[in-house]
Amino acid sequence: MNLQTFKDRLFAFGSEHGFADMELAYVREEKFACSLFETEIDSYNTSETYGIAFRGLFKGKMGSAFTEKMDEDSVTYLIQEAKENAEVIESDEPEEIFPGSQFYKQPDFFSEKLAQVSIVDKIALLKSTEPFVFEADKRVTAIETFVIQSSEVERGLLNSKGLSLNERKNDFLIALSVVVKENNQIKNGFIVKSTQDFSDLVPEQLARAAVEDGISQLDAKSLKSGDYPVVIRHDAAALLLTAYSSIFSAENVQKGQSLLKDKEGKSIASPLVSIIDDPFEKQGLACRSFDDEGVATSYREIVSSGTLKTLLYNLQTAKKADRQSTGHGYKSSYNSSPEIAPTNFFIIPSEGEGNLVAKVEEGILITGLSGLHSGANTISGDFSLAASGLFIEGGVVKHAIKQMTIAGNFFELLKKIEAVGSDLEFCFIQMGGNCGSPSLLIKELAVTIE
Amino acid sequence: MLAKSVIDDVLEAALSTGGDFSEVFVENRYSNQLALQGGQVEKSLSGREFGIGIRIFKDFQSVYTYTTDDSREGLIKAAKKAAQAIKGEHILQPTSLERQAIESLHPILLHPREVEKKRKVDVMKKTYELAKNYHSSIEQVSIRLFDDEQNVLIANSEGTFVEDQRIRSRLSIQSIASDGIQMQTGGYSPGAFKGFEFFENLNLEHYAFEASRMAVTMLGAEHCPSGKYPVIIDNEFGGVIFHEACGHGLEATSVAKNNSVFANRIGEKVASNLVTYIDDGTLANEWGSITIDDEGERARKNVLIENGILTGYLIDKFNSRRMGMTSTGSGRRQSYRFAPTSRMTNTYIAPGQSTNEEIISNTERGIYAKYMGGGQVNPATGDYNFSVMEAYLVENGKIRKPLRGATLIGNGPETIQLVDMVGKHLGHGAGMCGSESGSIPVNVGQPMIRVSEMTVGGRMGEE
Repeated sequence: MNLQTFKDRLFAFGSEHGFADMELAYVREEKFACSLFETEIDSYNTSETYGIAFRGLFKGKMGSAFTEKMDEDSVTYLIQEAKENAEVIESDEPEEIFPGSQFYKQPDFFSEKLAQVSIVDKIALLKSTEPFVFEADKRVTAIETFVIQSSEVERGLLNSKGLSLNERKNDFLIALSVVVKENNQIKNGFIVKSTQDFSDLVPEQLARAAVEDGISQLDAKSLKSGDYPVVIRHDAAALLLTAYSSIFSAENVQKGQSLLKDKEGKSIASPLVSIIDDPFEKQGLACRSFDDEGVATSYREIVSSGTLKTLLYNLQTAKKADRQSTGHGYKSSYNSSPEIAPTNFFIIPSEGEGNLVAKVEEGILITGLSGLHSGANTISGDFSLAASGLFIEGGVVKHAIKQMTIAGNFFELLKKIEAVGSDLEFCFIQMGGNCGSPSLLIKELAVTIE
Repeated sequence: MLAKSVIDDVLEAALSTGGDFSEVFVENRYSNQLALQGGQVEKSLSGREFGIGIRIFKDFQSVYTYTTDDSREGLIKAAKKAAQAIKGEHILQPTSLERQAIESLHPILLHPREVEKKRKVDVMKKTYELAKNYHSSIEQVSIRLFDDEQNVLIANSEGTFVEDQRIRSRLSIQSIASDGIQMQTGGYSPGAFKGFEFFENLNLEHYAFEASRMAVTMLGAEHCPSGKYPVIIDNEFGGVIFHEACGHGLEATSVAKNNSVFANRIGEKVASNLVTYIDDGTLANEWGSITIDDEGERARKNVLIENGILTGYLIDKFNSRRMGMTSTGSGRRQSYRFAPTSRMTNTYIAPGQSTNEEIISNTERGIYAKYMGGGQVNPATGDYNFSVMEAYLVENGKIRKPLRGATLIGNGPETIQLVDMVGKHLGHGAGMCGSESGSIPVNVGQPMIRVSEMTVGGRMGEE
């Protein structure tokens, strides 16, 4: 069955069974991934999948269900399940099927040029990069992972109020992780790049970046634990923002799960901090011209010179707050429940700001963070995270530091930002949205060193 | 789920360019998730996932493709396209298939799809009331209920042809306590390879109270000091520490390519004599249990470390080639969207000789980690980190004040040498483990143990 026929059958069957407004959302994905081990391809994956989500109003409640098969059985299954699900919903907060925004900006998330890069060329990039890894430094002992992935995604939304939206995007990602060893220390060097411009990827540069990342961590020394001025490098800062992006969700605020309650219009961060959500920012991975409720997305200032301008709203939370949706209705996948998430969400770089490390007499440059899924409490704001980094003395980086933890509170940290770098980068992790940040100088953080 | 003649043809088409092994994995899955907040059901979502994964090996090369198109021509086209990644002559014919009946090791009493959603809601409401009314400072309670029916068919060119059904149920409780200024959380998420009977027989009061008690206790907790301390880690989910610190390093995924600190060390002493570390997928009805793995191999009990000596790894079919060792029934994957690789099932430290009282009273000054949060490890270096959800300071052999914001960091292979006391009461805790082949249910477990020294990170600084 094709999509149109499936939608017609589904909506007809739905209205026969008591559904008022209905919506069908779909995602079609094509992926290719390949990895290399010791000059040979060791894995080669391709896929083409479809996912379909149905929502509909049944006796005033929204019922949802999903499937991966467009057949007659699925029509019956979706309607029956959605109906049963609607029947157990008790929340009286009204949900609606959206008739459409007035204006949708035309997306340009699909690169024809990238789509034309052949698999042979993609594999050639892998093969030509590998020798540079071992040439870059004698201390490289192995390549841990070396993988490329390209994907083409089409998402669409059709509803019984006549809304019909769809968009396509593609991207290409390369990830390289190397192992370096000196004396008895083993470290990992890592690089991930995501781009629509294949010619942007230069084998020698990729190899060198990963190796340098590993080498910079060797010869790690211990240091007295205590409170230090800290520069959080752009990539680590973007990860920290990712972990805390959910505090800006109006749903979390309305449910008392974010300390940003009643803070709209108030100062929540250092005046140096401005945060933007831009669904059309090409550097980010989370581009979208409409959200998962069909609302048009747009560029928004979330924090302006330290003041919280707006939270992120979907239709339901906007209605409750008596305002318009900001286009942040989000489902992490067609088989997930709706939530709220940013798109490309980033701290504005401070133009002309030089190297933040030069501003530090004695302190620490944080170059990596881990344990964000468990060590960052978004409700209290408290975090205690494993970190890797370098010792700064007299404004220059001296040496690597053994494994550390940094501990603090995100809400306090936002206020303690003393300088914002000019080096904005987006991280490769998406938790809902895709976050980016320049490097940040923090007055003081508690650091524990192994 | 798919006609035998179609599977035969797909397995053969997959070998058409010289592959030496082919496999078909069919998955038909039904799941339900319900969420309750503020006493009301807010979300209820159900769905069906259906797809087919086709895998081909040629020596040390693995090709994987998956699709939601289950038509005969669609599948043969997919198999042939995948086979194009291999360059060679068609030499091997698949062994003819004969269905192998397997008996599930994990009997199900009440199939989730046969239970009305209203009964599931009742369980959630009961749990909500218990957790909410535990204490006046409990401000919010979220309850999630999840059940899953995964039907799989696995066939390969070596003649394997089996079907299996996995049923899992899980209840997740999150409590938030507030004193008007700050908010603290507590949570508990028990799960099992069981049907609805799991919820009916679960001690809801215990789990609800523990989640809320944790949140309330943390309201009154001080920031954790930092430094090096002996650390006592309680049973059940405390086992997550060795899941991260050792378990991942024993998976063939990193051992086969010499990327693990445990590679090529069978027979060597890698841990304290007190440590015996086991992965056992056969434990009846446990959350991480399986009857067969996702490559059709029988689940088994794998002893990985015995009295400190490394005795084995967790091995899947593909990595078994590079390692020259046989599969240990450890090939697992989240769904047909992932090629399987070596993963854990129920992994635990075997019980030892000490009582909990002995362990605590023998600790002059240290940290007691009662409930662990999640963690992470870098298998290449063995460096790990964990958050502790509920921690206490131990002084003069007594548990003293609660501490919050504690993080444990260290190196797995070093830490496992430093286990100096192992308790008697083994307990398992349910979790989701994310790795190359996706997110899968696993149990972690251990009795109470003590590590003589770990680095503890917190906001209080060194004393």
